[in-house]
Amino acid sequence: MFDRDPEGVRIELRALTKHYPGQPAPAVDNVNLVIPAGELVVFVGPSGCGKTTTMKMINRLVEPTSGEIRIGGQDVLSLHPDELRRHIGYAIQQVGLFPHQTVGQNIALVPKLLGWPADRIAARVEELLALVHLDPAMFRDRYPRQLSGGQQQRVGVARALAADPPVMLMDEPFGATDPITREHLQNEFVKLQKQLRKTIIFVTHDFEEAIKLGDRIAVLKDRSHIAQYDTPANILANPADDYVAGFIGQDATLKRLALLRVADVPQEEARPGRELPRIAADATLREALDLMVAHGTDRCGTPSGVLTYATLCAAVGSSAVAREEVVAGDR
Amino acid sequence: MTAETLTVGKPRNPVRASGLRHLITPAAILIALTALYAWVGTLELDSIEQRSLNAAVILAKTVEHLRMTVIATALVVIIAIPLGIVASRAKNRLVTPLILTAGNLGQAVPCIGLLVLATFVLGVGFQTALVGLVAYAVLPVLRNTMVGLQQIDPALIEAARGMGMTKGQILRRVELKLAVPTILAGLRTALVLTVGVATLGAFVAAGGLGELIINGLKLNRLPVTIVGGVLTACIAFFIDWLGGLAENLLKPRGM
Ligand SMILES: Nc1ncnc2c1ncn2[C@@H]1O[C@H](COP(=O)(O)OP(=O)(O)O)[C@@H](O)[C@H]1O
Ligand SMILES: [Mg+2]
Repeated sequence: MFDRDPEGVRIELRALTKHYPGQPAPAVDNVNLVIPAGELVVFVGPSGCGKTTTMKMINRLVEPTSGEIRIGGQDVLSLHPDELRRHIGYAIQQVGLFPHQTVGQNIALVPKLLGWPADRIAARVEELLALVHLDPAMFRDRYPRQLSGGQQQRVGVARALAADPPVMLMDEPFGATDPITREHLQNEFVKLQKQLRKTIIFVTHDFEEAIKLGDRIAVLKDRSHIAQYDTPANILANPADDYVAGFIGQDATLKRLALLRVADVPQEEARPGRELPRIAADATLREALDLMVAHGTDRCGTPSGVLTYATLCAAVGSSAVAREEVVAGDR
Repeated sequence: MTAETLTVGKPRNPVRASGLRHLITPAAILIALTALYAWVGTLELDSIEQRSLNAAVILAKTVEHLRMTVIATALVVIIAIPLGIVASRAKNRLVTPLILTAGNLGQAVPCIGLLVLATFVLGVGFQTALVGLVAYAVLPVLRNTMVGLQQIDPALIEAARGMGMTKGQILRRVELKLAVPTILAGLRTALVLTVGVATLGAFVAAGGLGELIINGLKLNRLPVTIVGGVLTACIAFFIDWLGGLAENLLKPRGM
C-alpha cells in the first residue's frame, strides 16, 4: 500500500461528491483539493457544512457518490476498505477507546490487525505513550475509565499513530476537552507534527484552532464548497470573500501577529535599555504587542536587540494596530 | 425497544460486597434443606410416601430436572444469541419484529398448552418437554442479546471501523464482549424460569421434580408435594446465585 514511507504522502480529491440517500441536496458537492505530502490541512467551517463527510470519504467510512480520491498516487476506491483503514490513522472527538481493553491493548489494536510480532507491538506501545507524555509504567495497564478526558484524548491520538500511518484523519479530536486542556493538547500536537511530518487532515469548527495547527486551512461553506484554501497567514491577510472574513472575525490583525515570532522579524541592533520590557525570541508578536501596551511603550528588548512597534506593524503590513483591537481581541 | 423490554433482566448492579453477602443465599438454601430433612424425619411415612420419599428417587428426579434445565438452556443459548445478533443488525430492520414476535409468542402461549400441542406432534417424553421449555425461555436471552448489542456507544463501533476491523472482528472483539453482562443477565432469568417451568415436564412423562409434586397431589400425600416444591425452589435460588457469581466473574474488566 501507499505507506511504505511513514512520512506523509500527497492526498488528492477530485470532483468528490456525496449525496446521502433521501436528502434533497448533496452533503459534499464536487470538492477538488490537493493536500501536499507532510502537511497538516485543517478543514474549518460551520457545523453541518460537510467537513466530517468529506473526511470520512477518504477512509471510506462514507462511500463517495462520485469522484476520485488518491493517496500517494493510489486510487483509494480500488482498495479494500478494511485494509485501507489500517493504513490511515483515525481519531475522533468521542475518542472511542474500548472500555474493556487496557490503554496498552487499545493502542496495540491496529499493529495487531497488521500482524506485527508481539515484542515489536510492546515496544511501540511504550514509545507512543511516551510520545503523548503519558508514563508507560503508570498508564499502560489502566482502563480508559480510569483516565481523565485529556488523557483519553492523548491515548486516542497514540492509538491513531500506532502503526505509523503516513496519513491521519482527525475529526475535532480535542473538541470534548476543557479550554485549558485543549490548548495544552494543541501545543503538544504542533510539536509532535513538526517531528512526525504526517499528512494530516484535521477537522474543526474553531478558527483559532485552525490557525494554530494548520500549515494550510480550507475554509468550507455549505456542501463542503471551498471558500478559500491557503496558509493561515495569507487567509488572515487576504480573506477571499465576506464569508471568510466573517469567519475570521474582527481581530484578523491580532491573529496574524499571533502567527509570527519575534525571531522572524528584523530588530534594531542596539543594546536594549534597562527600562525596556524584555521578550523571548520564540514569543509571538502578539505577546510582544501585549507587553508594549502593558508597559505603555513602543519598543521592547529582545535577545538580539530591540523590537519596535513600527516593525511589528510592518510585519503584518498594517500602518497601525489599533489599541481598540487589542481590547476587542482580549474579550 | 419499550421500557418494559429493558426491565427484564437488566444486569443487576454487581455489589462489590464482602464475601459474606455472597454466602447468604447458599446458607439460606442449606437451612431450608436441613429443615425439610428434619421435618420429613419426624413424619411417619406410609408405603406410598416411602416409594417417593427415599434418597434414590429424590436424587433421580433431581438429576432429571437439572438435565432438562441444562439441556434446554443450552439450546436456548444456541438459538437465542444468534437470533439476537441477527435482530440487532440495522440492515435486518425488517425481520427484527418477526423474530421478536416469535420470541414473544413462545412466552405468551401458556406453557402447558404448548406442551400439549407438542405432544400431538412428538408424543410424550423428554424431547416434548424440551420444546416447551426452549420456546418459553428463548425470549429473555433473545431480548437481552438485542438490547445489549444495541446499547453500545456508536462511537466505539465507528472507532473500530475507522481502524480497519472487519465486521466479524467488531462483533466478536467489541460488541459481544461489551454485551456480555446484559446477555448473562438474560440467561440467568432464562435459567430460573426454566427450573420452575420444568416441573411441568411431569405432565408429558419427562420426569423431574414435577413428578413428586403431581404424585403428591394425585395420591393426596402432602409431604411428597412439599418435598418436590421446596427442592425446586432451592434449585432455582441456587442457580440464580450461581448466575450472579458468573455475572461478576465474566463481566469484562474495566467496566
Ligand atoms: N449518515 C447521514 N445520512 C444522511 N445525512 C447525513 C449523514 N451524515 C451527515 N449528513 C448530513 O450531511 C450534512 C453534512 O454533515 P457533516 O459532514 O457531519 O457536517 P460537519 O462535520 O461539517 O458538521 C449535514 O446536513 C448532515 O445532516
Ligand atoms: Mg462533524
